[in-house]
This record gives sequence, structure tokens and C-alpha cells, in this order.
Amino acid sequence: MEIFLQACVNGLLIGGFYSLMGMGQNIIFGVMKIINFCHGEMLMIGMYLTYVFNTYLGLDPYLSIPLVVVCMFALGALIQHTLITPSLGTKSFTNLLFLTVGLGMLFQNLALVIFSPNYRTITTSYSSKTLSLGPITMSLPKMISFIGLIIVTIALFWFLKYTSTGKKIRAVSQNPIGAEVVGINSKRIYIITYGLGCALAGIAGALLTLFYMVYPMVGASFSFKALIVVVVGGFGSIQGAFFAGIFLGLLETLSSLIVGPTYRDLTVFVTFIVILVVRQMIKMRRR
Amino acid sequence: MKTSTLTPYAIRKRIAIVLLLTILAVIPLFLSRQPYVMNVFILIFYTSTMSMAWNLLGGMTGQNSLGHAAYMGLGAYVAALFVTKAGLNPWLSMLLSMLIVGGLAGIVFYPCFLLKGPYFTLVSIAFGETIRQFVINWDFAGKATGISLPFGAESFLEFRFMSKAPYYYIGLIMIIGVYLLMRKISKSKFGFALRTIREDEDVASAIGIKPMKYKVYALIVSSMIAAMVGSFYAYYNRYIDPDLMLQSYSVEFVLPAIVGGAAFVEGPLVGGAILITLSEFLRNEFGAILPGINLILYAVVLLVVIRFRPVGLLGWFSESKLKKMIDVKILKKSEKDEEV
Amino acid sequence: MENPIIKVESITKNFKGLKAVSDVSFEIRSGAITGMIGPNGAGKSTTFNMICGYYPPSNGKIFYKGEEITHKHPYEYTNMGIARTFQIMKPLGNLPVVDNVVPSAYFGRYGAKSLKEAREIALDVLNFTGLYEKRKVLAKDMGTPDQKRLEMARALATKPEMLFLDEVMAGLNPAETESAIELIRKINDSGVTIFLIEHIMKAVVSLCEHVIVLHHGEKISEGTPEEVMNDPYVMEVYLGKKGENNA
Repeated sequence: MEIFLQACVNGLLIGGFYSLMGMGQNIIFGVMKIINFCHGEMLMIGMYLTYVFNTYLGLDPYLSIPLVVVCMFALGALIQHTLITPSLGTKSFTNLLFLTVGLGMLFQNLALVIFSPNYRTITTSYSSKTLSLGPITMSLPKMISFIGLIIVTIALFWFLKYTSTGKKIRAVSQNPIGAEVVGINSKRIYIITYGLGCALAGIAGALLTLFYMVYPMVGASFSFKALIVVVVGGFGSIQGAFFAGIFLGLLETLSSLIVGPTYRDLTVFVTFIVILVVRQMIKMRRR
Repeated sequence: MKTSTLTPYAIRKRIAIVLLLTILAVIPLFLSRQPYVMNVFILIFYTSTMSMAWNLLGGMTGQNSLGHAAYMGLGAYVAALFVTKAGLNPWLSMLLSMLIVGGLAGIVFYPCFLLKGPYFTLVSIAFGETIRQFVINWDFAGKATGISLPFGAESFLEFRFMSKAPYYYIGLIMIIGVYLLMRKISKSKFGFALRTIREDEDVASAIGIKPMKYKVYALIVSSMIAAMVGSFYAYYNRYIDPDLMLQSYSVEFVLPAIVGGAAFVEGPLVGGAILITLSEFLRNEFGAILPGINLILYAVVLLVVIRFRPVGLLGWFSESKLKKMIDVKILKKSEKDEEV
Repeated sequence: MENPIIKVESITKNFKGLKAVSDVSFEIRSGAITGMIGPNGAGKSTTFNMICGYYPPSNGKIFYKGEEITHKHPYEYTNMGIARTFQIMKPLGNLPVVDNVVPSAYFGRYGAKSLKEAREIALDVLNFTGLYEKRKVLAKDMGTPDQKRLEMARALATKPEMLFLDEVMAGLNPAETESAIELIRKINDSGVTIFLIEHIMKAVVSLCEHVIVLHHGEKISEGTPEEVMNDPYVMEVYLGKKGENNA
């Protein structure tokens, strides 16, 4: 029972990361109808930024988050403005797909060249402290990150619901032509959206750095998990992504508890394919 | 009829093709002492062939699969297992591998074609990853360590050679064969069905094309070619492991088609020749100091092409310089209608 | 009615509880031009799509030459001799005009055996529809009138007996409308039965010998154009609003 509870908590934690990634991905998809295949690499960049700030500037990983957000937003805005917005005009799904795939490849290998394939970690004075809540023990960094995830998630919902920029983003994703008609500058919204998506991935990266190793390929697995979250939660649906992320985290930890860690990924992928196909079949029946 | 009225243009085009083939055929005679260069050629051959296989499904049918490395890997595994465990002849194993992978892809992937656009891409990644995870956990196939093929005396029957030249020729025949097949498909009823599906599935249905059927056919042909390339890879390298199926390889197989021009049958060939030559050069020069430099180049070329020449290098070329070239080099006639 | 080619028996379509079409029945006479009119949202396109097999009706039956086709798939229609156009034009944008029509020649009832044969059929059809001059232009580079023509050419190249036209004159200016009317009449004269949805009353009056009027998903009137236009209910719900619709 205790193992089960512990697994649940770990599942919630990892699920929180998937949620955050998936929500960023989903905001981008909602507005531009593209899949951001380099989303995992944005997480990776966020992790390396945190690492660099910590190692060379001596910044605490959690205090460096605002800085990471600014950098990631700028990077995202730059990519959007110079690469994605011009390519949106060609309306070629294939090209847009491989544009983001190419970006992912670029960042992954730049990291490889700059930082070498070595695994890196950050240690702080509180790295090894643990907290006990009844039968569950959790390391302090995990606890802080968990709280951080909750705060960011709430802030994101608030931003989309109440601020004028957030409303504009939702307007563009629901009806781009209508949004244009009422005078929303869609190019500006694209930039903000992509920047926001990247910043969210960056935050996830910063929150992950204290208890996860940093290496150039670290984004790859998160990237695909974020996509699963998006698909299962429904393209463009922020709430859907949130719940799907939590669900995926729990599915992963619990399946590794039940069928063993080697079959964990297999379970996840097969579940994913089955969900997709069955849902499409139901949809076609209803037509 | 046509042969009697060959234009100077057609004649010179034929001469150019024969010349190119002759050069390709004699290259091993001069380079047999340089296994590294031979290896680059073989790499170009099988990567471009894979890219053509992808292009049938991606470029021509519009189904952007990102799991093609899995078909190739599966093909390599099936062939290698037949050779090592059942002691079958490699050529026969290659054939069996093609049939098995094609059949498996057709049956297992069939429901996935219900999904469209981004959903299809995602399910193809998941499918590829599922196969890889399955192989990693499969005792019989050596789990993560992979399979080694036996070495031994040189023998054509055993698909085992000491020098690179025989592999070169087999690779060359493979790429030419697949290219001719693709050209044939592109101009056939099947090809028109695929292109119609790419542009609009509703239109396809409205004129009597069953989209599901043709998408599955395209996948079967595509995965069979991938299995053939996979078997070739296994015999050539004499060793395979599950990393062969990594998604990053799937991306590498797509790049030549996109960079060369996915709308053209020749796109993967042009893209493959350019990308791999550049990449291998960089890997050779800087690989030791800067690992990953060749992949950075891949990425940059891809981004630049998509950003500035969205139709690919061939699309760009056929609009601009080709005309000038043809005008200068040869007379051309309005008989070019026959093309496309 | 003697020898109906299409017979629709009280079809109904529900979308998530919303009744888009309810209990509509009518017949299409072989060899004639039949029209369907109605205000926006009357359920015309839904009815049209049900007959063409794009979505199955929730209730009711559809017959073609006496054979039930209610649950046939769209791609099975071609061989039966039914073709359609799309309201929102769907040109195969990245292909030249000829290649937009070639697939129809292959897969339609001409059943072309070779590319050469298919091309010949396609060029004939393009000639017939007045697109021959533009055969090498990419479909996406053409204007609306030509794309509408291409829709018809693509349908015709399957050699249909029964042709469904979904607002092929929407967005055309008077001169273009006039030539579209001419083309439709020419198609009909070649022996093809036509069923069309149209907003432009002038076209309906000059082409159709029989008109069906839908409103709120129900058939409210049918008959010759004169009969329908003199129906007081039709005048109230449809013609009375005509000015607004075209505004």
C-alpha cells in the first residue's frame, strides 16, 4: 500500500511535468495548428540554462526561473518571427512539421557540441533533504518543484482566462478569421504564443534540473510524452492536456510497478495507439 | 511511333543518363582502395532508397510517417533472424523479410490510417517506438545487444563479401530498381490515386478512389522497400541492434526527400546525394573534435530549404536554371507535355 | 412521376440532437434538371451530402434506379454513375489542371487503361468545359469561375449519368453565371441528369424544370419554378428574404 501511494505521488509529480509541457504544446497548436516537435528541446535548453546560471553565476536553480523564462520567451519569439511565421504562409503541413523537427535536431546537436554528451547534475545545500508526510517520503527539491508546477499551472489558467492577451490567444485559436476581423494582430499573437509555449517548457526544465540529469538527449522522451498528452487530452484543449498529463504520469509509474519497468514504455505506447484508434472509430460511427 | 521521332533533346537526355550510369558503374574500379569513399557511396545508395520509400507514403500520398526506421529495423531483424536462427539463405531471407514486414505493416497499421494529419504522424511515431520497445524486450532477438551475423568466406550466395565493391553494385542496383519502380508508380493509375488522396481525400472518394485501400497499398510497398534496405543494411554491417529503429533515424530518412523536393520522384536522390556527401565530409573532418556537427549541418540545410525554398532544391531548380541549361545545351520542343 | 433516377424516402438527419433535415421525400426525374432552393441553413447541403453518401441519414432511405443506396460509401457511387461537385471548391491545388481530371478518367466509368488514354479523355472533358487553354496551369492559380468549372470537369470525367452540383454559380458575376448556365445546359443535353443546389434564382428559373424548396429542414413546396414561386408560403419564407440574403 505504501509503495502504491509513493508511486502515486511520483506519478503526480512526473505527470505535472507532462501537463506543463502538453499545455504549452496545446496553446501553440490551438493558435497555429502546428505540432511543435522541438518542445522537448525547449525543456532541454531550459535545463541547460538553469545549469549554466547555477554553475557560472552561482544562482539558485529556483531563483533563476525568471531569467530562464525571459531567455526562453525571447528564443521562442525569435524562432516564430524568423522561421515559423513565414512558413505558415505556404500552408504545407509537411514543411511546418519538418521545420520544428529540424529545429529540435539543431538544438540537440548544438547542445552536444557545446556541452558534450556528458551527464550533468546540480547540487545545492538542500538537494538531499527529505520531507515525510505520513507514509510518503519525498525529497525537498521534488516538493518545491511540485508546488512550483501547481503555481505555474494556476497562473497559466488565470492568464488565459482573465488577461487581455490571454483572451486574444483564445480568440485566435477558436476563430482566426473572426479574431482578425475584430482587429487582433495575429502575427503578434503568434509570437506571444510561441514564446509562451517555449517559456513554459523552460520553466518545466528549470523545475526538473535539481533531480534529473541534464544531457543533450533529455528532451526527446519528454517531447513525445508531451505529444501524447496533447493528443489524448484533445488538440487545443488546455484543460484536457492538464488531466491527460496527470493521467500519463500515473499510468507510467503504476504500470512500471505492475508490469515492471522494462515494459513501461511499451504499455504507454500501446495504450496511446489504442486510445487514438478507438476514439477515431467512435467518432466515425457517430457521423 | 515515338522512337522514330526522337527529338535532339530526347537523344541528348538519353546520352546523359547513359553517361551517368557508366560513371557510377566504373567508380569502384578506381576507388576500390579507398573503402571510406566507397562506404559513403553505399550510404548514399541505401539512405536515398529509404527516402524514396518514405516519399511514396509521405511526399506522394501526403501521409507524414515518422516511423520508417522501424520498418527498416524490423526488416533487418527478420532477415538476420532467418539467417542466424534458421540458417536460411540471405537472399531468400531478404525476400521473406520483405513479405513479412509488408504484410505486418499492412495488417497492424491498417486501423491507424483512420487517423489523419498530425494524428497520423503521432501514431506512426508511437508505432515505431512500440516495435523498438518490443525488440528491446525480446530475448530471442538478443534484446538490447542485438544480433551479429556470421563472418566467413566471400560468397555471392551468402551475401558476404570481403571488399566493398559488391555491396556497392548491389546498392546501386537497388537504388536504380526502386527509382524505376517509383517513376512507374508516379505515372500510373496508382500514382494518380495517391496524389489525389494527398490533395484531398473527399475529392478522391467522390471520383471513386477508396482512400483507405490506396493508403494501405502505399504503406505496404513502402515498408517492403524499407525491409529490403534493412536486410541489405544487416548483411553489409554484419551487426544490428535496436538503436537502428530510433526515431531520429526516421527523421534522417525524411530529410533527403524534403530537401530535394518531396513532390518529385528524383527529390530523394538529389537530396540524399547532397546531404550525405556534405555530412560525411564534415564527420570525417571534424567528427572527432565536434561530434554532432554533421547533424547540425543537416538541421541547418533543412531549415534553410524550408524557409527559403519550400518546394525543395529540385522544385527551385526546375523553375530556374534548368530552363537556361536546356536552352543552352539542347533544343527543346513542346513535346514536354508528356512529362510531370 | 415516371422513371425517377433518384428516389428519396423521408430522410432525416440529426446532429447531436439538432434536427438538420426532417422527413424529406422527393424524386429526381431521369434526364431532367432538378433544383433545390431554400434560405441559408435550410438543410440543403445536408440533404445533398446524404444523397451523395457523405453522411448516412439517421432515418429514411435513398434509391438509385430502384436500388437502395442509403448506406453506400461515396467511392462506390462513381461506378454506379453518380458524380458530384463540392460547394467549397476542392481543386487538387498543386497539380496542373489536366492532372486534376486524369484521376477521374482512370477511376470513373471510362476506366482508362493507360496514362495516354486517361489524358485524352481528360483533354476532351476540358475542351467540353472550356478549360482546354488552361490545362497546364496549376489548379490553385486559377480564379473562382475556372475552379468551379474544374469541379464540374472532374465530375464529368467519371462519365456520370447523374450529376450533383452544389452551388456551382455562387460567387460568379452575371456574365460568368450566364456561361455557367450554358455549360450546365450543355451537360444536360449530352444526356446527364442534373440535380443542383443554387441561390441564384435566375439560374434556377432558366435551368430547372422541377424545383424543391426546403425550409428549416423540411420540404415546404415542390413543382415547376412558376408554381413554386407563386406558392404564398415560399414567397414569405424565401423570396421575401431574398433581398437580405443577397445583401
